Amino acid sequence: MAMRDRTSSVRRCMLGGVALSLTFLTACGGGGGGSDDAAGAACKPSGGKVTLDYWSWVPGMQKAVDVWNGDNPDIQVELKTVPSGNAGTYQNLSHALKAGKAPDLGQIEYDSLASFRLKEGLTDISSCPGVEEAGAAFVDWTWSQVEFGAGGEDGVWAVPQDTGPMALFYRKDVYDELGMRAPATWNEYADQARRLKKEGKFITHFSQTDPNWFTGLLWQNKATMFERSDDSWKVTVDRPESRQVADYWQKLIDDKLVATDLQGFSPALYKAWNDGEVVTWVSAAWGYSTIRDNAKATAGAWAVAPMPQWKAGDRQAGNWGGSTTTVMAGSEHPAEAAKFALWLNTDPEALEILNREGGLYPAAKAGLELPALQQPVDFYGKQKVFDVFAQASTQVDTGFTWGPTMTDTYRFLSDGTANTIAGKSTLGDVLEDTGTRSAESLRKQSLDVTP
Amino acid sequence: MTSTTAPARGRPRRTLAPYAFLAPFLIPFVLFTLLPVGYALWQSLHKTARTGGTFGRTRTVFAGLEQYGRVLGEDYFGESLLRVLGFALVQIPVMLLLALVLALLLDSAVARAKKFFRLVYFVPYGIPGVVAALMWAFLYDPRLSPVVDLLRSAGVHADLTGPDAILWSIANVVTWTYTGYNMLIIYAALQAVPADITEAARMDGAGGWTIALRIKIPVIRPALVLTGVFSIIGSFQLFTEPQVFRSISTSVTSTYTPNVAAYSLASGDSYNEAAALSVVLAVVTFVLSFAFLRFTTRRQG
Repeated sequence: MAMRDRTSSVRRCMLGGVALSLTFLTACGGGGGGSDDAAGAACKPSGGKVTLDYWSWVPGMQKAVDVWNGDNPDIQVELKTVPSGNAGTYQNLSHALKAGKAPDLGQIEYDSLASFRLKEGLTDISSCPGVEEAGAAFVDWTWSQVEFGAGGEDGVWAVPQDTGPMALFYRKDVYDELGMRAPATWNEYADQARRLKKEGKFITHFSQTDPNWFTGLLWQNKATMFERSDDSWKVTVDRPESRQVADYWQKLIDDKLVATDLQGFSPALYKAWNDGEVVTWVSAAWGYSTIRDNAKATAGAWAVAPMPQWKAGDRQAGNWGGSTTTVMAGSEHPAEAAKFALWLNTDPEALEILNREGGLYPAAKAGLELPALQQPVDFYGKQKVFDVFAQASTQVDTGFTWGPTMTDTYRFLSDGTANTIAGKSTLGDVLEDTGTRSAESLRKQSLDVTP
Repeated sequence: MTSTTAPARGRPRRTLAPYAFLAPFLIPFVLFTLLPVGYALWQSLHKTARTGGTFGRTRTVFAGLEQYGRVLGEDYFGESLLRVLGFALVQIPVMLLLALVLALLLDSAVARAKKFFRLVYFVPYGIPGVVAALMWAFLYDPRLSPVVDLLRSAGVHADLTGPDAILWSIANVVTWTYTGYNMLIIYAALQAVPADITEAARMDGAGGWTIALRIKIPVIRPALVLTGVFSIIGSFQLFTEPQVFRSISTSVTSTYTPNVAAYSLASGDSYNEAAALSVVLAVVTFVLSFAFLRFTTRRQG
């Protein structure tokens, strides 16, 4: 609401004819104050040679940056490869922001944009050259996310990079051997878990440090965790749709059908994949490179199928991750940073590199036409895996709203999962507890919460 | 100052001199210890206020003891504190006993290659904590560890990263890291035991055991107390090992120890609560260390 007020007051100011930039800044910028307004109002190229710091965890990002640096001697980007967001980078970014030492550009997933905006860590780039026109270049729901669903009235806070429509990765050779097909429903998936258990295999791992994976499963069942109105937030973590998901996985955990001692993205998990101990993974489009790079011994044996459904015949997919490129608060060169962010996420050559090296599934419409995304993939038995993800991305509920304290919400989910794995609680309890504590987190940030 | 200089000019120079000598210590001490502690105190007494709806502007306002009330009221506070307390009660005696035995062995007449062993025992302390924790993480991992494989082939099913074992797996890493360090402090103290006392005891027919128990240990008591205090402080500040183990074990929560909790709170943007927790933790650690000192000195007196 405040943002909208400020935008309209800026408009009024411009209509009033106080067009000289200096007067404009002092007369109208002062009301709201703060770095985002200043940048939003005066996103002008700095001139001269600038160097931009950029934190990202996309594998192979350096190759794309090298191409940019070769073409733009005056805007040099220095890449720092960092751990993925919830594995430490968000914490480091928060600390860097607090210390006033944040990089110019960061990688932030959609689910954490609100958190970073809440702590005034992002720069509104809506007035930077080329940003407004760029909206049409991206898949609609992703641009809506960076506009916080306000259709441009509330600023533009990031440039979409990739999306994470979810599907089921499974060991086709193992399935074939046991006479099983890719599961159409979650019930079928549970039956397969029992069958695989008899073979001494786990159908999948239940990671404790990937609460956003679990959220992707909730997303598939349209179990939005937060609702936002103009002045307040509503926490809807514990609801029938999320309970259905939680109870299902609780049963798999109770029956010891999933591996609960494997952390996601751990060397131990990769060994379990390579050894054939764990044979499926419900994951996002970008996960195709995770398996390809870490389960080399199983090349050619995997395939991809749509996510199992809650009701036979449904066609719903979840979304896990997908990132944006953000201009961080305090950047002295927002115009150059925004220019790089737009290039990185729309230029065909850059998109091709990010897809080839990092397995990113682009958020840019042009990216979906990449030749590489139409090709059969050897690692997946020459299956055209991206067809599955292209279909999944149209089945993702695009109205999902993230809370502004997702770091806390994820923390409560993953701590609760640790207790569940230790047998001290159930996932249902975890949802209830996470809901209560998330509301408490919002209040701690002095936000209004609707009960 | 000699008679050639006027006393009025000489006096300030005399009072400045000690500070000039102290500066190399005082400046970093103020910059890197006093100021951060002061800042944490200041932060712990404030909170974030917000104006203007869901993405309004933030302001820091004075909140009195609100953050302290919040910390003391949370479940994680008592749980994490009890956890490190249990850790300290088991780990510290084990580690110090080991360090004492090793130091006495090195100091005994029968020891050979003293320099070599002194170095070997001390090496773990020289390895950065994160590296050590990562190395042990691989040794504990049920799927990657050769040790667990060996145990399994011997019929022992050890779940070293599970919810019941992980705290003691961490204790093992801490013991491995700090035993050599404590041994070195104790060994240095043993070097100060006057040779004539042990000589006299030997003349009176005391054996190696008797000399160690009746003479050496009482004489090096202050060193043992010192290592005890250091270890108490270290236990309550436990951070690196649990934080690293989060990547391999599904049993370590974000509030596993008070320090890990403070880190998690700060990264969730609750800097003020994290500061309050840190201050409370400092007070608890101070009180316990002081109580330990009082207890041990009273027994001595």
